[in-house]
Amino acid sequence: MAEKSYSDKVLSRSIDPATHEMLARAEELGLETAWDRYEAMLPQCGFGELGVCCRNCNMGPCRISPFEEEGPKAGVCGATADIIVARNLIRMIAGGAAAHSDHGRDIAHTLLLTAEGKGGGYEIKDEAKLHALAAEYGIETEGRGKEEIALDLAHAAYAEFGKQEGPIQFTRRAPEKRVSLWQGLGIDPRGIDREIVEIMHRTHIGVDNDPVHLILQGLKASVADGWGGSMIATELSDVLFGTPTPVRSVANLGVLKTDEVNIVAHGHEPTLSEMIVAAAQDPEMVALAQKYGAKGINVVGMCCTGNEILMRHGIPLAGNFLQQELAVITGAVEAIIVDVQCIMPALGALTGCFHTKFISTSPKAKFPGATHIEFHEERAFEIAKEIVRAAVENYRFRRADMVLIPDETMECVVGFSVEAIVGALGGTLDPLLDAIKGGAIKGIGAVVGCNNVKVQHDYGHVRLVEELIKQDVLVVTTGCNAIATAKAGLMLPEAAERAGEGLKGVCKALGIPPVLHMGSCVDISRILVACAAIANALGVDISDLPAAGAAPEWMSEKAVSIGSYVVSSGVFTVLGTVPQVLGSPVVTELLTQGAGDVVGATFAVEPDPFKAAQLMFDHIEEKRVALGI
Amino acid sequence: MPVEGPFILVNPDRCLGCHTCELACAAAHTDAGTVIGAVLAGERLQPRNHVVQVGSVKLSTQCRQCEDAPCVRVCPTGATYRTETYTAVDQRLCIGCRLCMMVCPFGAIHVSTATVAGRDKRAAFKCDLCVDRPGGPACVEACPTKALSLRYPREVMQQATAATAEQFLEALESQQKLASNP
Repeated sequence: MAEKSYSDKVLSRSIDPATHEMLARAEELGLETAWDRYEAMLPQCGFGELGVCCRNCNMGPCRISPFEEEGPKAGVCGATADIIVARNLIRMIAGGAAAHSDHGRDIAHTLLLTAEGKGGGYEIKDEAKLHALAAEYGIETEGRGKEEIALDLAHAAYAEFGKQEGPIQFTRRAPEKRVSLWQGLGIDPRGIDREIVEIMHRTHIGVDNDPVHLILQGLKASVADGWGGSMIATELSDVLFGTPTPVRSVANLGVLKTDEVNIVAHGHEPTLSEMIVAAAQDPEMVALAQKYGAKGINVVGMCCTGNEILMRHGIPLAGNFLQQELAVITGAVEAIIVDVQCIMPALGALTGCFHTKFISTSPKAKFPGATHIEFHEERAFEIAKEIVRAAVENYRFRRADMVLIPDETMECVVGFSVEAIVGALGGTLDPLLDAIKGGAIKGIGAVVGCNNVKVQHDYGHVRLVEELIKQDVLVVTTGCNAIATAKAGLMLPEAAERAGEGLKGVCKALGIPPVLHMGSCVDISRILVACAAIANALGVDISDLPAAGAAPEWMSEKAVSIGSYVVSSGVFTVLGTVPQVLGSPVVTELLTQGAGDVVGATFAVEPDPFKAAQLMFDHIEEKRVALGI
Repeated sequence: MPVEGPFILVNPDRCLGCHTCELACAAAHTDAGTVIGAVLAGERLQPRNHVVQVGSVKLSTQCRQCEDAPCVRVCPTGATYRTETYTAVDQRLCIGCRLCMMVCPFGAIHVSTATVAGRDKRAAFKCDLCVDRPGGPACVEACPTKALSLRYPREVMQQATAATAEQFLEALESQQKLASNP
């Protein structure tokens, strides 16, 4: 087939050929995308970029002058740039921790309903995990049915959110040294909701005005996210829907089909997407689709809920965050079904230009231009069928002349939960530890995070990961990075050829890809669990491990919380876009240097993925030397 | 005929007082060219214009690029100079005497710390219309409400003349019609 050619503008926006094709199509149809809106937004406010704008009270808005000798150096209340930046940053952490944790709460709620026999179609799929978690919580399992155990587990998980005095059970999975360090710093979280509330209290006018003290509270809430809310989301999802095991699938917009009803499941919580997958397989729905002339129903994933159903069922993945509008622009989507987080409100106006139904489902999230079919776990399957029916009935309105589906798809092998990794290693972590000690694998690179129009789409993700594996760093990934690397073919066992000699050998011996898909963004908790297990096996703290993290294209508040709990857990983290903190020398210094003395890890900012890889590699080498390996 | 220089005009009805123009101005005059880049590189940010509030009205103030500029006349070292179309400061020659600040009727020039040839010194800062910048003045480009514009006074005057002349002709015509159809 002839090579397609695109304008420089289109090429500059992404490295993904499917994205190029759809961006050109958007231009042809005169449709606007996030990239156009970003261009219209430029230049973005410099005060905002520096984080020195405060709107926390109505004496403001205040903003601190970044000019040396001019303009105000304190807000009306006297808050300096350091105070304002620290407050704004931890409010972002509160937002991110709240989002992840509320997701965890919803999963706990679903487990509770299921245990009580009120779940509208859910069942407990992984009893082994149920028992393991029950043991962790000290819940009696002997001679008890799975529903009985699940009821106690759901109550125990629920209680983590409202705890006043802690500890959050899963934080105790961290090495003892790490837990004592948190306790010493006063950042061992007492309860998930409590730490988030305390951020909102402390950042109210006239409460906490010590930038370092503020940041510590931010770290505390972030630990409650990573080792609390997110981990609950992951673990209880595994109990309900099954712990992922390696499975083969395909990724990119080419997974949409010309002759089937296409349903895009977009958002985050598997409680919805799992049921959509089940409802789409219902014979009644399939028959209905055939009645309307479709060959079947094709459910595909978008963003993290896509990762959830990809990991557990091998459901094809349409794309990552910046591709949500592009999926609609194919003209081949009957319904884009959303719940919460990272869903662009722009989808309302955009779906209005096509036959596509934009269906919102969460009681928490409504969108302009969307049809709201509210999802309740008690009637899950029934509502999912109603949603799928709406999609199927919409097939007859698809306009063939408006359909343009890119050819691009890429195969991938995904589903690497910690349990699956241990399984692939033969039941113990030892082969991995030996490979690290022996130097075949230099270390572990955790590359995660969003897409951001400030970075050429997927460029930051793919180039960084390619560099790391070339240098024998085993990459574990989640979220939009996982989707980017899947599309780039890095999640195939054959991609071992693109790795350095050492890593290539290990991958070939085990038959695994050099880049392991560990799940959605809440599943970064799986990476924490893996790090803790490795550190415990070596008898060291996580901060001693030859490991480094990166978020090359991050943008969300959740990413701020993630970065904070990853650094709080002792993992050096490189950010690809600049956080809104540079207006404060104190906060900038704390995050990039001071934190090293406090939690044993720091942040670095490096937009160039090649330089970022080098920073991570240097860090890994330094840790190897310190460990004497 | 001499070439006419433009200046930057503010429409106070559109100004929200966000100071974006100041930051854009400061960033445009750094090597990095962006606010974040300058902060990361440790470069000084210095605006050449100022957003002020008069009563409830907010507006940006900056140099009018005077033809017979008092700042140029008083400068004892020739640091402040005028080209055919604008006035500017050569900070290498400036001694920071602040006479220009005293005589500017618009308060559009000020002395602050500058890094000149790698050395920090006190020197005057004023709007240079971003003459070397592709895309023109950074403040005009940055203004989110389009309150700022680059204006050529003669052009503005000609537009006004044309408009009033047209009005006058219309008036004249209607008068003639009245005269022929009493």
